[in-house]
Amino acid sequence: MTDSEVLTATVRIGAPPTAVFPYLVDPGLITRWIGEWADLRPEPGGTFALDISRTPVRGEYLEVEPPRRVVFTWGVAGSDSLPPGSTTVEIRLVPDGPDTIVELYHHDLPPAEFDGHRKGWLEKLDQLAGKVAGRDAADIQR
Amino acid sequence: MSEAAAGSADDADPTDAVLRALADPHRRQILRLVRGGESAAGQIASHFELTQQAVSHHLQVLARAGLLSERRDGVRRLYALDPQGLEPVREMLSELWPSALERLKYAVEQDQKDQDQRHKAAEQKRRGRPS
Repeated sequence: MTDSEVLTATVRIGAPPTAVFPYLVDPGLITRWIGEWADLRPEPGGTFALDISRTPVRGEYLEVEPPRRVVFTWGVAGSDSLPPGSTTVEIRLVPDGPDTIVELYHHDLPPAEFDGHRKGWLEKLDQLAGKVAGRDAADIQR
Repeated sequence: MSEAAAGSADDADPTDAVLRALADPHRRQILRLVRGGESAAGQIASHFELTQQAVSHHLQVLARAGLLSERRDGVRRLYALDPQGLEPVREMLSELWPSALERLKYAVEQDQKDQDQRHKAAEQKRRGRPS
C-alpha cells in the first residue's frame, strides 16, 4: 500500500546495542518502558503481547536479529480499525561510538488517520476512550 | 468560545480535559450529532433520554475542553464541533513512541549506571578495601 503512513521516532542511548536489545525481547525489561504486562516469544512467528493501559496490543515477532533489529506486528485485540497483524513496528539499534541510536518505524498505519478526516477522528473516539479509562484507573492505583 | 472557562483548575492539562470529555459515551454521541454543523441545545437534548440539565452539563464539559464552540442566537445556544479541540489528543498519540523511547533510554542508562557501580564496588572489595 502506498498511501499508508509511517510513524518514526528515534532516541540516543548511552549504552551499546547489546545492552539495549534485551529491552525489546524480555517481558520484564520491555515493561520498564512500555506497557504494564508482556508475553514475548522473541522468534519469527513468536508471540508479541503487550497490555498498555489495559489496551491489549497483540502481534507476533517477524524478525529477531540480536543485537541490531526486531520487527513485530502490532494491533489491538478486538479492534476493527487496528486489528492484530494490521501494522508493523521495526526497531533498529545502530551503534554510534559508545552509544546506540534507536530508530523506530511504525509501518502500515491507516492513511491520514487523524489528518483532515474529522469523521475518522470521531470513529476513533470509542477506542480512545477505552485507553483513557485504563489510564485513569492506572492513575488511581498509583 | 469561552475564554473564562479555559483556565479552570481541572483543565490545567488540556489533553486531560479533552480525554476526560471524550470518556463519556453521551458526550461522544453529542460530538457525532454536531459534526455536520451547528445544533441548538434543545435539538441536541431531543436525542437523549436525559434531563435538559444533564445534557447542558455535558455540553459545558465539551465546550470547556475546547471540543465544542458555543454561540448565542437570541435565546438559543448553538453548538458546533471545534476540530481544533482535538489537537492535544492528536499530539498525545503522535507522542506515544517518542515518550516510550525516552523511558527506554532512562531505563537502560539507569541500569547501566547501577551495573557500573556494582562493578566498582566489587573491584574495591577485591583490592581489600574495608567496606
